[in-house]
Amino acid sequence: MNAFIDFIMGPMVWISFLIFLGGLGYKLYRIIHEVRTKEGYVFSYLTWYHSLRSIGAWLIPFYPRATRQQPFFYGASYIFHLALFVVPLFLSAHIVLVEEAFNVSWPALNDTFADLLTVVIIASLAFFTGRRLIQPEVKFLTTAQDFALLFIVLIPFLTGFLAYHQVFAYQWMMILHILSGEFMLIIIPFSRFSHMITAALTRAYTGSEFGNVRHARDW
Amino acid sequence: MEEKHTWDWRTELKEIPVSEWTSRYNWVEDPCMTPDGESVAAIVNLDEMAFGICVNGELWDGEHEKAWHLVALPGNRIAAAVCRDEEWSLVVDGQAWENQFDFIWNLSATPDGKHISIAFQKDMEYGMAVDDTCWEESFENMTGMTLGDTGKTAAVVQVAPMAAADINAFAKGVFAVAQDGRFGEERFLNAWDISFDATCDNLAWAVRLDREQYSVAVNGTVWDSRFQQVWQPVFCGDAVVAPVRYQGQWRLFMNDEPFWLNGYANLWRLKPSADGRHLAAIVAQEFGRWTVAEDDQVWPVTWDTMVRDIYYSDDKDTLLAVFKDCGAWGLARNGTAWNLRCDKIFTPDMNRDGSVVAVGFENEGQFFVAVNDQVIAGPYEAMGDPVVNPEGDKVLVKGIKNGVYRRQVVTL
Amino acid sequence: MNPTENTLDQAVEEGLERLTQERITRTVNQVLEKETGARFTAYVETCMRCGLCADACSFFLSNDRDPNRMPAGKVKQTVWEMLEKKGRVSKDFLRRAVRIAHLECNVCRRCSMYCPFGIDIAYMMLLVRRIIHKLEITPLYIQDTVNSHSATLNQMWVKEDEWIDTLQWQEEDAREEFEDLRIPLDKPGADIMYSVIAPEPKFQAGLIYQAAVIMHAAGMNWTMPSRPGWDNSNMAMFTGDNEISGRIARAFYETAADLNVRRIVMGECGHAFRSVYDVGNRWDAWAMPPFEVVHALEFYHELLTQGRITITEKYGKKVTLHDPCNVSRGRGLHDMAREVVGMTCSDFVEMTPNREHNYCCGAGGGVINCGPPYKGERMVNNRVKAEQLRDTGAQVLIAPCHNCHSGLEDIVHHYELNMEVKFLGDIIYETMEKRVYTPGV
Repeated sequence: MNAFIDFIMGPMVWISFLIFLGGLGYKLYRIIHEVRTKEGYVFSYLTWYHSLRSIGAWLIPFYPRATRQQPFFYGASYIFHLALFVVPLFLSAHIVLVEEAFNVSWPALNDTFADLLTVVIIASLAFFTGRRLIQPEVKFLTTAQDFALLFIVLIPFLTGFLAYHQVFAYQWMMILHILSGEFMLIIIPFSRFSHMITAALTRAYTGSEFGNVRHARDW
Repeated sequence: MEEKHTWDWRTELKEIPVSEWTSRYNWVEDPCMTPDGESVAAIVNLDEMAFGICVNGELWDGEHEKAWHLVALPGNRIAAAVCRDEEWSLVVDGQAWENQFDFIWNLSATPDGKHISIAFQKDMEYGMAVDDTCWEESFENMTGMTLGDTGKTAAVVQVAPMAAADINAFAKGVFAVAQDGRFGEERFLNAWDISFDATCDNLAWAVRLDREQYSVAVNGTVWDSRFQQVWQPVFCGDAVVAPVRYQGQWRLFMNDEPFWLNGYANLWRLKPSADGRHLAAIVAQEFGRWTVAEDDQVWPVTWDTMVRDIYYSDDKDTLLAVFKDCGAWGLARNGTAWNLRCDKIFTPDMNRDGSVVAVGFENEGQFFVAVNDQVIAGPYEAMGDPVVNPEGDKVLVKGIKNGVYRRQVVTL
Repeated sequence: MNPTENTLDQAVEEGLERLTQERITRTVNQVLEKETGARFTAYVETCMRCGLCADACSFFLSNDRDPNRMPAGKVKQTVWEMLEKKGRVSKDFLRRAVRIAHLECNVCRRCSMYCPFGIDIAYMMLLVRRIIHKLEITPLYIQDTVNSHSATLNQMWVKEDEWIDTLQWQEEDAREEFEDLRIPLDKPGADIMYSVIAPEPKFQAGLIYQAAVIMHAAGMNWTMPSRPGWDNSNMAMFTGDNEISGRIARAFYETAADLNVRRIVMGECGHAFRSVYDVGNRWDAWAMPPFEVVHALEFYHELLTQGRITITEKYGKKVTLHDPCNVSRGRGLHDMAREVVGMTCSDFVEMTPNREHNYCCGAGGGVINCGPPYKGERMVNNRVKAEQLRDTGAQVLIAPCHNCHSGLEDIVHHYELNMEVKFLGDIIYETMEKRVYTPGV
């Protein structure tokens, strides 16, 4: 049992991060390479300025008109995405692990606050799920895969939350937490989670077409 | 223009006042100048619905209700389309053709200036006329009129009826290519871009056979190869060469076989050298970068806007390209661009070996002439294309300055 | 054959009849695999099925939020299923695809501004149209315009003599106002080539008259070409016939090159602007148009601000302005348009949303060109525009685009909005001082 835990907390972490980062890196390379060989025109229009301008505009909460029309969704979405990064990266329990392994550390979130953010994440996921079940235009697009993706995000946060509060069997919860977290990392490059990089690319291209060619804003 | 040596290259300056025409007539339209520079002409308004053609200050006989299409032709003749009593005719050097039409347009002349063709419409039927002789048959519609160097004509004609929005009739093919008014059995979904060979014995054109398949027809026989798209085929010696889009790239085919090895983002406006041994084309090697390829060898320079046209000197030593880069026009000779940059550039002329190149250009509304990248004349208010003499030591400059047309021979 | 819920026009139905499963599968896969690349893959893989594009679409909004009409919904019913079935889609599927891509999408690109990732859904609808084109099931009327483009290089089967004759006729008529007015044909080295779309000589020759008056009064050095290449419209780009689209663009720019003009000014048309500025040129490997292309409203702005045209008395009726997609979202000219309205009209009211966020007229993207059989559904599909117009309370609707103009005329009539639809040129022509500009005077 201990050997298993050692594995998932040791080599498996490395493997997960390797697949996560390597996969995304490869994906980025493949896209750029394919665009270069097959759709070279894209580079005629792409500019850093217009790309960053568009990405930047869409990162500012409620700056784009479309986001103001859907305040609930975008509100939830902004917080959710922020928490998705902040909680795992700044959780004291995670930082301790990194410090033990590499002797580096950084300031941690207050545990109660992190706990609250986790609840926000879980609540957001519930909101997204509800939307998929109820709102007709979202329901129309939704397939089992979309629920699966929500579930994959939910599990590491839910198990983390439960483990932190020592509900159910702590050890099993921890194992589930670690495994599901690693699974999420691994699956990112192979699923629509890869929008974490491709969205920047599509936004950059559209931002450039709008800004550079059509002299218009795309927000 | 073989007759260039017969022109007056000795008189340094001849002047014809033109601005005074405006006081004589209600208005004077855009002037045009014959290649030899001896005549300057304009359509002038005499009265309400009364137009005349004024050449060197003299009016041609006859008043016309309408006049347009005034052109100075090779061979130094001047022609215009004129209308009286709603009948159109062509008047050449003051002499009207006998034939009259409901409309005429697309005036062209052979390079030696000996033959003149027009497209005509008469009783809602279409045809061409050469030197006042009309095609025997006329058609429901006609496009792509072409005049060969020896005076033969061809055009794409509609040979089957097609009701409004009848896409089924269209899909069966209603177009044929008529040569001197006669057409064969072949029908095409589309036919475009007719080329004659030098003797006008053979014809080639681009065809579309169905929604997706393009090819080349030579004297009505379609190549076996099918392409995604085709630009104008031309004769290069006895061979037919055509830029074709094949497997997603533009390539050059000759006589139904792959010819140049390189593929391009675009490839068009083929120009064979006079002896037919070399072939040049305007190409984009990559998206948005334009240059010239000669025998599949690309010039070492590219431009971001366009290459307008390319020109071989008579003995093929020189290849010129008129290009536009960063919004300004320029001229390049054998792969090297002149320093000249301008708002507009006109058609260049050169001597036999191309060692002397002259071109008119415009900057900020004023016209100039440059020879071998040096400005030699200008500014003018209006200008005709300069001509280099066969020996390459003189340039004929034709321009209007302070209301006076000046025919000037500049010795280099 | 009149289209119903379950059938489309004759061209589509006969075309479907001719198709074999083998050809369908081969064509779908050829387009989706060979003619696309990472851009398409990224669009498909990045879409999170969030449904946020829905609110962008006038079809969705006008049809009581029917998910079938939302942008991603249209992709789901076409592209996703084609990919999922590896091209083995049925004729019924294709019939629905024709309706979605050709009749229920204006390719207005508004949804790109509502997708948080900026996915270009219009691009995917155009891919579907490309497949439809290759399968020869494009709706009848728009296909006829493409046939015309292919044979005559203009959209309306205008014969070469008819074109020139029309220009001369307008020139003659305009001499009633300016004795020496000219529409200079083929003037080499003119500064401006003025270009229009084929419906102008065919049905609205008066617009050429107005343009000639404006050019003459402004003292411009301009010309119009007598040869094919004068028509800047391009329906082939809307049916996915990229090859013909490229041929049209080439003829257009080579005409300008042969005339050796400095720039091209075009009439009030949106799709034509898109075709020459943004689409047709690309097929020919011109990254950007080889000549500066100036849309009419930008040109009016220039003439008014430079004082080449003066307004005697501003137009008095209450006007509102429709932003044509292809010059606002497509070229950012919306603020300039407002300045021109401000310089020529005294009572202006905005419609909302506006500028880049305008709703399409419902006619754009080749939808109106699919013809009379579909006019009824086009009216239903743009209720939201009618509501937007009604809310302004304006008497006059300015629509500086041909497609918009025709589409909005229909909307105004159908919804009994009691508005007059005008071009900006109409207003300028009505209010301008009819004298020739002389510098310094």
